[in-house]
Amino acid sequence: MIAELLGAVRRRAQGGDALWRREERTALAFESGRLKSATTTEEAGVNLRVVKDGRVGVAGTTAADTATDGLLDRALASAALGEALNLTFPPPSPLPHVPTFSDGAANASLAALIGVGQELVARLNRDGCQLNVAIEREVSETEIANTAGAAGGYRATGVGVGVDLTRIAGDDVLMVYDQYVGAALPSAADLDALVRSVTTRLELALTVVEPPEGALPVIFTPAGLAAILLPLEQALSGKAVLQGVSPLGGKTGERVFDERFSLTDDPLAAGRAGSRPCDDEAVPSSPLRLVEEGVVRQFVYDLETAARAGTTSTGHGRRGIFGKPGIAYTNLLVGTNGQPATDAWQPGGGLAAGLRNGLIVEDLIGVGQGNVIGGTFSHPVALAYRVERGEITGRVKDAAVAGNVYELLKRIGGFGSDGRWLGTRFAPSLLLEGVSVARR
Amino acid sequence: MKDRLRDALKSSRADYREIRVERTWSSAVAFRGRRLEAATASEDVGGFVRVLHKGCGWGVASFTSLDRLPAMVARAGELSRAVRLDAPIRLAEVFPREADAVLDLDGDVRGVPLAEKKRLLEAYNGAMLAVGDRVVDTQASYRDEVSEVWYANSEGTLIYQLRPEVVLSGTAIARRDGVIEKGLESLGYRKGWNAAQGRETGFRAVAERAVALLDAPGVKGGTYPVVLDPELGGVFIHEAFGHLSEADFVYENPQAREMMTLGRRFGKPVLNVGDNGAVAGLRGTSPFDDEGTPTQDTALIKDGILVGRLHSRETAARLGERPTGNARALSFRHAPIVRMTNTYIAASRGGGTFAELIKDIPLGVYACGAFGGQTLLENFSFTAAYGYMIRDGHVAELVKDVVLAGNLFQTLDRIERVAGDFQWNQMGGGCGKGGQFPLPVTEGAPHVRIEEALVGGDVAA
Repeated sequence: MIAELLGAVRRRAQGGDALWRREERTALAFESGRLKSATTTEEAGVNLRVVKDGRVGVAGTTAADTATDGLLDRALASAALGEALNLTFPPPSPLPHVPTFSDGAANASLAALIGVGQELVARLNRDGCQLNVAIEREVSETEIANTAGAAGGYRATGVGVGVDLTRIAGDDVLMVYDQYVGAALPSAADLDALVRSVTTRLELALTVVEPPEGALPVIFTPAGLAAILLPLEQALSGKAVLQGVSPLGGKTGERVFDERFSLTDDPLAAGRAGSRPCDDEAVPSSPLRLVEEGVVRQFVYDLETAARAGTTSTGHGRRGIFGKPGIAYTNLLVGTNGQPATDAWQPGGGLAAGLRNGLIVEDLIGVGQGNVIGGTFSHPVALAYRVERGEITGRVKDAAVAGNVYELLKRIGGFGSDGRWLGTRFAPSLLLEGVSVARR
Repeated sequence: MKDRLRDALKSSRADYREIRVERTWSSAVAFRGRRLEAATASEDVGGFVRVLHKGCGWGVASFTSLDRLPAMVARAGELSRAVRLDAPIRLAEVFPREADAVLDLDGDVRGVPLAEKKRLLEAYNGAMLAVGDRVVDTQASYRDEVSEVWYANSEGTLIYQLRPEVVLSGTAIARRDGVIEKGLESLGYRKGWNAAQGRETGFRAVAERAVALLDAPGVKGGTYPVVLDPELGGVFIHEAFGHLSEADFVYENPQAREMMTLGRRFGKPVLNVGDNGAVAGLRGTSPFDDEGTPTQDTALIKDGILVGRLHSRETAARLGERPTGNARALSFRHAPIVRMTNTYIAASRGGGTFAELIKDIPLGVYACGAFGGQTLLENFSFTAAYGYMIRDGHVAELVKDVVLAGNLFQTLDRIERVAGDFQWNQMGGGCGKGGQFPLPVTEGAPHVRIEEALVGGDVAA
């Protein structure tokens, strides 16, 4: 399909690249502890980019009945309007090996997937709580090629198991959520960790205590870190640098963060959800140190942003079937090892023991709103625990945390022993000092 | 196509079968600063099948290759049989009907060259940039779509719908030294090319506001009487209350049902809230939902009392209520779930004008527009686009960083006055739930006065 398409591109334009992807998904939904639905999804489509007269155009389709010419016509029409850009496609090159496919996951029967859900329901169901379990298994096939001769293709599997428990007592609503994500089916140990994580979080949350107040030490768990890492993810994008809106722009080589803080993007992590041998623009994958020992090292680029910035792509192009490619991280690691800890289920990873008075933040409301890239945040807590004299004493409601990420990450109070994967991110808990905590 | 659907339905003997097939043409143009980011046209085609065997759960299939339709009906049947259920799924009755619902395309966007669309957006983007040097960056986007949707089920319903949509948005970034502010314009219509014309004024206004915000002080955190403008009032009622009125939140959960018991007082008698999928020309509008149920105006809060909720056929049957036409799917990739359509706070009869609403407020905040909002069930946080102080009954200085946070039940109960100046906010964007985003919805409200709410940009330590 792609070879034929690129043949037509060579005849009618200077160059181009295309991505073809086919996905097959099986999803199970357990609502209130009962399996309610089983879904299968088959989707295939092509995204085509062309360069004509030095201008770039894009088109996509899922319509299998559309002739190749129709797609190419639309891409050329798009290019006729596009601005001039010196886009060069990567040449052929060997791709690294990375495990992205699990036969066990691909071949798992519907009954086996149902079994995983039933086990979780049996272990997690409890009176007064609504339990939902979602199980998803995806098998995908990707082909990418360009007119410079580069080509890549790979198969991948992805398994996601999500558990959420909702407990409503009067007007108090408590939600506890956790997930497993990986290329393979969850092992017995993975399921144990999930059960233990959800039960521990729920039990600690049953008691509601008064929130503390003031400038306090706050532990952000791997889940709670989303609010802290989001500004960095935006600021480390080459696009933000190019547009002059990144607070980290021009700071390559400068120590901006605590010297124990490192951030790595690793597309070659075995069996992780973001892993692949090449990106969606046929650029070979390699791990990238973004922040090393507190020093800003590298920004991420796709082909277009790299061309505009006069640099090379770091292999972070991602494209869907529709629209043009954009920049995306693969697997983001705080620290570098990516080895999950054995006591990852314990909120705060041991950091709470050292606190006289503080907070553990698991989830915040409104992350991503406002001027994120500037680093200033202010969010009500969705799920947080109070720490008093080294002990977790209960759940805190009606409190808000605020601060500036760039200030807070200059001095990190400690790293938890609870490093774990959460989707495509690996992190331990971080203790940040002087976070402003207010009651509402 | 109708015959293909009928034949495919006949191929299965399951107790209930439904099929949806969609074909969508869309185009999109985006500018960043003076640079065109992209101008593209796309075509998306696919189908969806949902099957129910007696004593079993839902078997669902979605696919992009329509040749696979018969195979996917069979596969959905197998999946349904694999899901054993003790408590059977029942569907509330809906009268079967055959209908063609062809909406006015209002200038068919498919007939307009991409270059025209680029020129239109370039003009709107230019209106923002022309405001001056302080406008350092802009983002502008245009998106249009025409969809054909066929729906058929085994009870005899067969519906064809043709619907247009056009969405415009603009963000202006103003900067002076380290201070960065933004202004946001968002327009969305279930209409076509004609509705996208003549919108320069709105784009210019948001850029001017972004520049004005550079000099505005941040609001001083604290508790104030707060007046919401119709845009923020609409976003508030959708986010903070609307989602709780979706019956799939309560139908399997006795505690949630208790919290949302019909007859419970949710506010003062001045508060009236509803959802209406049948209003002409709004983005949440559709003659039928994605289960073939006709849409309607559903009262949710009447004179401060909870009186209704939004249903699919399944949640209605479970709660012994009537379907309301709120089962909606983002596309053929998704099953219909309970969603809002056009959600509103009704104008209060004799509620008066905005000036009357604020005339006895000595010190308060007038919160306008919305940059974003999130609710986690009973807690919410909304970021207003901008605001003004109210001093001695009059609108005073422009302020920024207006964030409203609070508890839903308390805040609804503190709505003490509702003006008579209702308007629908015809915006772009959309609603997200269960992985289905952005679903087109509309919100509407008049000016609303809350006796007391916590306002903070900066949370004081």
